[in-house]
Amino acid sequence: MAVRTVLEWLNSCSGCEIAILNIGEALVPLLTRHLELVHAPILMDHKYLGQRGDGTEFNIPEAEVGLVSGGVATVEHLQVLLQMREKCRILIALGTCATHGGIPALMNGQDRKEGWEGVFQTRTTDPGCSVPDVEVPAPLDRVYACDEKVEIDLFLPGCPPNPALIAEVLMAVVEDRDPVLPHKSVCDTCPVIREGKGAVSVVRRFLVNAEFLAEDPIDRMRCLLEQGFMCMGPVTAAGCAGGGLPRCIAARVPCRGCFGPVRRDGNQMLDMMNALASNGSDFKSVVDRRSLLRFSGAHGGLRPLRRKSAAERG
Amino acid sequence: MGFEPKIIAFCCNWCSYAAADLAGTARMQYPHNVRIIRVMCSGMVHPELVLDALSHGADGVIVLGCHLGECHYQDGNRKALARSEVITELLEDFGYETERYEISWLSSSEPDRLVKAFTGITERVRKMGPVNARDLAG
Repeated sequence: MAVRTVLEWLNSCSGCEIAILNIGEALVPLLTRHLELVHAPILMDHKYLGQRGDGTEFNIPEAEVGLVSGGVATVEHLQVLLQMREKCRILIALGTCATHGGIPALMNGQDRKEGWEGVFQTRTTDPGCSVPDVEVPAPLDRVYACDEKVEIDLFLPGCPPNPALIAEVLMAVVEDRDPVLPHKSVCDTCPVIREGKGAVSVVRRFLVNAEFLAEDPIDRMRCLLEQGFMCMGPVTAAGCAGGGLPRCIAARVPCRGCFGPVRRDGNQMLDMMNALASNGSDFKSVVDRRSLLRFSGAHGGLRPLRRKSAAERG
Repeated sequence: MGFEPKIIAFCCNWCSYAAADLAGTARMQYPHNVRIIRVMCSGMVHPELVLDALSHGADGVIVLGCHLGECHYQDGNRKALARSEVITELLEDFGYETERYEISWLSSSEPDRLVKAFTGITERVRKMGPVNARDLAG
């Protein structure tokens, strides 16, 4: 019997849904035999409040498994997520926005009011423009990851998540077994040459190309962190490795940390700074270190900077 | 009743925890605000532990290790010092005052230094107020 499945998106860009499409050939048996999609706003016209909008009760059908992408930024997102939790037996957070806040949670690092005004009232907007308060769902005080609001059964980070892992999780549900997911860091899946600690004194941004020979495979290239580039491999969860290589490294570009921290409650910026400092590198050479939390700003990771009191300002 | 801060102290097994023991047997007085956590070496205090303590309501955190050069594990306290620089630098990023954190060195025969360090941070944090009562508006 096909497993009843719900797809939902909250504060999401639909990249995670594209990743589902990217499962490729394995998607065909999943869709035709194993899964029965009963609700998916990206695919089908199923309204929350009845097809003519005349219902009074929020209506997401009951399902065995629910995939939710995107973080929680408005009261509408929260309402949908709560409903999903109520109706789905297994709730899966799909993508880094759902698991760690993702790119939208960068907003958490600045003052919310200034941020919203910056969006709706720039110098180029028409006079009289203001932050809307009708017809747009009210924003929450910050951007949340899904597990800050409801219990999540399975986390599948990634920006975008790895299609092979999505297929693995869905098949695990169909076959009623535990999914096999990676739990180490990007470095553990990275084949480049590492020659040991202590080689890096200063960390640079990736503004010039790394050193490598174009005809050499990746496993003949020196580790990008050891070349002095800010590579977030050590503090980022593995999983992107399509075809055996971490994706950015395969393009000879340093890891940007899109799978979030290795441990669920880890802090990528803190861990990276700690790793650099205890290896004797100058952690102050990292430009704009708060951006290391660019994918994991929920869970209180990014907060507005403390304003100095009058006494401190002198 | 005035504000009584909660201070978490990470003491290394070989020097500062022994010093705290000695302070106890010598009946030396120090503020009751300090909660000691014994660790094998000050070098194992990951910045995350400090951040965790503050985010769970500790008003101040102090790390105490052996004198530099006298580490039981050769260079554990040098590591602690390197990590400590990260902590003081990053506390502001997470919205805490740097004065809530301190690192200090003492040997197992210096309970007086321990008492001084404990009294110092307690008094300082007492003046700063509770950890989340920050002046966000000013």
